[in-house]
Formats: sequence, C-alpha cells, structure tokens
Amino acid sequence: MRGVALALWAVVLLQSSVDGRLDLLLRAAFHPLVSAAGGVLLILAVAQVLAGLRSWGGEPDPASRQDRRLSAATAAIAALVIALPPNPSFADLASQRPADDTASETLTFVLPPAQRSLTDWVRMLRSQPDPRLFEGDPVRISGFVLPKPDGPPQLARLLVRCCLADATPVGLPVRWPAANPLPRADQWLAIEGRMEVEDRRLVVVPERIQPIPRPARPLEP
Amino acid sequence: MAFNVLTRLNTAWALFQGLLLEALPFLLIGVLIASLARWFSPGGAWLRRLPAHPVAGPLTGAALGFALPACECGNVPVARRLLVGGAPVGTALGFLFAAPVLNPIVIASTWAAFPDQPWLLLARPLGAVLVALGLALLLRLLPEADLLRTDLLEERRLNQPLASVSLLERRAGVIGLSAEAPPTLPSLPAPTWREVLQHGSREFLNLALLLVAGCALASLVQALLPRQWLLAVGSAPTLSILALMLLSLVLSVCSSVDAFLALGFAAQVTPGALLAFLLLGPVIDIKLVGLLGMLFRGKGLLLTSAGAGVLVLLIGQWVNLWRL
Repeated sequence: MRGVALALWAVVLLQSSVDGRLDLLLRAAFHPLVSAAGGVLLILAVAQVLAGLRSWGGEPDPASRQDRRLSAATAAIAALVIALPPNPSFADLASQRPADDTASETLTFVLPPAQRSLTDWVRMLRSQPDPRLFEGDPVRISGFVLPKPDGPPQLARLLVRCCLADATPVGLPVRWPAANPLPRADQWLAIEGRMEVEDRRLVVVPERIQPIPRPARPLEP
Repeated sequence: MAFNVLTRLNTAWALFQGLLLEALPFLLIGVLIASLARWFSPGGAWLRRLPAHPVAGPLTGAALGFALPACECGNVPVARRLLVGGAPVGTALGFLFAAPVLNPIVIASTWAAFPDQPWLLLARPLGAVLVALGLALLLRLLPEADLLRTDLLEERRLNQPLASVSLLERRAGVIGLSAEAPPTLPSLPAPTWREVLQHGSREFLNLALLLVAGCALASLVQALLPRQWLLAVGSAPTLSILALMLLSLVLSVCSSVDAFLALGFAAQVTPGALLAFLLLGPVIDIKLVGLLGMLFRGKGLLLTSAGAGVLVLLIGQWVNLWRL
C-alpha cells in the first residue's frame, strides 16, 4: 500500500512535468527539480513494493493499520491532484495580489518596439517614465484581460518569482474600441496597434484585437 | 469586480497545486537526508565533553545542525539521544531549536522562495541562533528534574559521571568511593537498508499529509480572504507579526518547506512578520507539541512555548524597526 501511495505521488510530479501543468504553476527554473524528485520517488516506490513482496506473509506490523490509513489518505489526495488539473482565473488571482511596484529588474538590452512583450513594455516604462519617448511606436502584445476597479480593463500578464502563489500582475492600459462591448475578464487577447499618450500616460490603441487561447507558458519570470 | 465562488475555488485549487509541486521536491530531499542520517547515531564519550558553558554550549549545539541536516521532526529524536548520552542540556537545546533552520536544505528552499529578499538568508539563520540561545538560557532557570521527562532523566543519569549528580539524584554507587566515569553509551547498531527505506517512506507520507493540509489552508486563505483584511492586518507592525506567528503555529509544516507557504502573504505583510513566521514554526507548532513531549515535562514545554513566542515577537519588532 505504501508503495502504491509513493508511486501515485511520483506520477503527480512526473505527469505535471509532461502535461504542461508546471508551465502554468511554477517558474521554469524549478521544473527540472520537480521531474527529478518524481524520478526518485518512483525508484523508492518500486523498492518499497519489492520489499513488501519479499515480506509477504511475515509477522504483521503492530503499526500497520494506522500505516495503511496514512497511505490510503495520501494516495487519495494524489489521485485527486492527478484527476483535477488546475484551471486558475488569472484575473481573479491578480485582483487578490498587490500590484507590482517594487520590481527592480532592469532591462539588459532593448528590443525593437514591435518585438517587445507586454512585460518588456512595462519594465521599459518603469526605467524610462517619459511617455512621449514612445508615442507612435508599433505594439504587438498578448495578455489576459484584467478588470480594474477604477477604470477600463487592462491587458495584463503575471510575473512569477517562485510559483503561482507569489504572482504579481503587470498591465498596460488599452483604449478599447467604443463600438464593441468591453472584453470579459480572463479572455486572452493578441493586440496589434500603436502607443499613444493620454493623460500623460501611455495607452495602447489597438488596430487589431484577436482572441487567443491561453498560451502554453502564460507566466513570465 | 465580483468573481463567483467557483472561480475562486478554481484559483485556490491552482494555488494549492503550485505550492505542493514546488514544495514536494524539497520535502523529499529533506526526508532522504534525515533518513541517511540515521546511520549517524550520536553516542560515545565525546558527548560528555561538549561545552557546558551557558553561551558556548547552545552555539555548539546549533552548529551541529550543519553536520546533521534534518527538519524539526527528524531532530527531536536526535536531541533526545544527545540528552540520554549525557551531553550538556544547553548544547542539546541549542541543537534542538536551531538545527531545523541552520541547515543547507532550509536555506536553499528559503532562497528558492524569496530570491528577491537576500536579507532573509542571513536574518533567518541568525534569528534562529538567537532564539535557540535565548531559550537555552531561559530553560536553565528550571532544574533538570523539572525540565526533562522522568524516563529520559533516568537514562541520562546512567551516562553521567557520578560526581556531577547530587547524592539525592543518584540511583547507584557507594558513598565515599571515587566517582568513576560510567560506561559510555554504546552506539546503536546501524539500521539496515530496508529499515531506512521503510522509515523514510513512512516519514515522507506523514509529512506530505501535513504539507497537503498546510498548502490547502494557505491557498484558501490567499484566495478567499478579502484582500482588504489581509492588507489591514499585514500593514500593522505588531498585529502582522502576531497574525503570522499564529499562522505558523497552525500550519505546522516542516522547516524545509515552510518558506513556500509564506509566499502568498509575503508581499502584503511587514518584513518582521515574515521573519517571525519563518522563525517560530521550526521551534514550536501544533505538531511539535506532541514531539517535544518526548523530551520535556509540562513546565518545560510551557516555558519553551512562551519564551519562543516572546523572543520571536521581539525579533520581528526589531526587524520592522530596521526594515520599515
């Protein structure tokens, strides 16, 4: 029984490494660690099963009943984690998190405007706060729709230092076309357009808005 | 912006999985090392030669943590073995309270969780040493007979030189004879591979269950508690420290993974509260009350809990003065 529980936990770690779950939950630097731990657990599980087979029919362990209950409980939780993949609402998560205003990452090199990601733009604006420098620059970004309590929704991304629990949202204001209804929260969009200055801050003025599925690697470091 | 309950629960489930997947590898490394450390069973005369000085003793004990990396559940039995073997009480207590933090795995996981807060890498071990030293000095106020459990004390007397035990406490020996050194505690026979495997995998599953409960609580609090509450509590210097101390008592996870559970709150609470969370959990929490009962009598346990609470609160306040 203990071998089965260990094996299920090994499956949790190994399966998450292949089915893209880690891309959604953890920063990329930790992915190899999770896979390696899954491998080690699998070896332990096999050793445990072999040891169990060899002592089959031996004297019963006095603690074995409690032991079996422990194994069953942990195995059930592992099975639940395998069966129910995570499906977080980034907008919900972002609304619970403080906005990122202390990040001190500096840009190491500057990409041409059309190649900058949403996060590149936010970092750029932080190091060069004068919006007039970027007026008219072409923009090609993607992100999810993050409703704001004090204005129209922004296009946002989550930055992650360790795992989803410490995600901090970064967003860019967008001048949504007046003809269409506002996009719904959590919808992923690819936007092409240009930067304009509005109220002394930069706004993305879209020329083309396209709904896209959530990318395979939605988190940015 | 109202998100319905189902969305909230979905988000909480994802947070739970994120925390769990991040913490499990560190838990596994911790358990593997602690299991291998079972081959190192402290015994022999060198235990009695450890320094008994009120300050140098606990510091030596704390330093032993680097030689024997284990989280707090693994090191209670080792501390018991030190006490039985006749090691000075202060040294054993220094080991008991500081070793769960002063070890490479805990420092690595703290760094993995907070790469942007390098001050924690210094403040956490330093704070742990201070707490251990403070507790060791505080517990000196209690005579050994009030501090340690009777069965532990009797085993300990067998391994102490008669000269260091008062006449009333002696159970053997002839008055007037010169006190001879007692036979040294024999080292336990080395466990077999199979015992290590059985013990290690049971320990992993036990701790994984605690980790699951801790991750569930942390993710539910993060996803469901209104943010205004968190902010109101988290930004008040003293209240935030007390709140996170309470959280660390309840969460009861191992020191090798507790840093991850603080992630969700770290941005919303004062730095002193974050450090208090990381310092108190390894010394005392719900799970440890049972484990420490293997060593201490009620009075000792009470003094440990109260002393640890006050010391951690003071350190947290001081850090808030420094960092805020």
